[in-house]
Amino acid sequence: MRHTIFLISVMMLFCSGLFAQQNKENWTKNQLLEPSVLASKITENKAKNLLILSIGPDAVIKGSVEIGPGQNPKNIKNLENYLKNVPKTKEVIIYCGCCPFERCPNVRPAFKLLMDMGFKNGKLLNLPKNIKTNWLDKDYPTND
Amino acid sequence: MKKVACFLLISFFATSIIFGQSKILKIGQIAPKIALPTPNGDTITLSSLKGKLVLIDFWATWCAPCVKEQPELKALYVKHANQVKAGKFEILGVSLDKNKENWEKSIEHLKIDWPQVSDLKFWKSQVAKDYAIEDLPFNVLVNEDGLIVAINLHEKKLVNFIDDYLNAKIKQP
Repeated sequence: MRHTIFLISVMMLFCSGLFAQQNKENWTKNQLLEPSVLASKITENKAKNLLILSIGPDAVIKGSVEIGPGQNPKNIKNLENYLKNVPKTKEVIIYCGCCPFERCPNVRPAFKLLMDMGFKNGKLLNLPKNIKTNWLDKDYPTND
Repeated sequence: MKKVACFLLISFFATSIIFGQSKILKIGQIAPKIALPTPNGDTITLSSLKGKLVLIDFWATWCAPCVKEQPELKALYVKHANQVKAGKFEILGVSLDKNKENWEKSIEHLKIDWPQVSDLKFWKSQVAKDYAIEDLPFNVLVNEDGLIVAINLHEKKLVNFIDDYLNAKIKQP
C-alpha cells in the first residue's frame, strides 16, 4: 500500500514537472513591455525605431506587421526570414493576445527564435489576459 | 469620520458590483439576437432555432483551448444525434475569426457538422459586445423559448447539463 502511494506521488510530481516545463516562461520580467508604454510611444509618434510583430491571431496594434501564429512552424520560418536583415540592436516587440500567457501556444516559440537570433532588445508585449482586455478595451491605437 | 469613510467605501463597492453585473449576461434573460452569415453566405438567426435547446459556442481558430474543445462538442452532438434530428437540440458555432480561409479549413479539419456563423470581425464583432464576451472559449445555453439557461459551462459540467436537460425532456409526457 505504502509503495503504491509512494509510486503515485512520484508519478504526480513527474507529471506536474512536465506540465510546468511546457508552460515555462522563456522571457524575463525586464523583457516584458507594458501596453501603456507602447501605446504612448505610438500615439506620440515615437515608435518609428520599433519593429512590432504580431505572432498571434491578428495584427491589431497600429503599425504592427502580421507574421502569423507562432505555434505553426511555417510562421516561425516566416519570422526568421522577416528578421534576417534586421540589425540585432533593433527593438523588436512581439505580441499575441489570444489568451493568457500560460495557455498561449504562440509566444514561446516566437520569443525563443528572437533570442536565438541574438536580438538584444527583443521584447514581449505584456498582454496578461488578451488583446481585447489589455489593448482594444483601452482604446489604444489600432491598424483599423 | 471613520464611519463616513467606511460608508463611502461600501457604497462604492456596492455600486461597482451592481454596475458590473448590469453588463453581464444573466440566466433567465432573453438571449441577445444573433443573425450572422455561414461560410456559404446564408444568414442563420438564433430565433430560427426556437423550440430547441441551443448551445451557442463562441470560439475562434486562433484560440487553442477552443479548438481543443471541438472534439468534445462533436461527441456531444453525436451522442444526442436523435434529439438533433427531432429538432430538440442544436449547437450554433459563432466564430470570432478574422480570416475566412482559416475558419473554413478548421471547420473541415475538425469535421464540425453543426451550423457555423461569423461576421469575421474578430473582437470587433457586435456579437462579442452583445454577449459581453471577455475571453474565449465562452458559451451560452438557450432554451426552447430563447431564454438563457446556463452560461459558460465546460467539460463535465457542460455534458451533464445537456444530458440532464434533454433526458428530462424525454421523460416528460
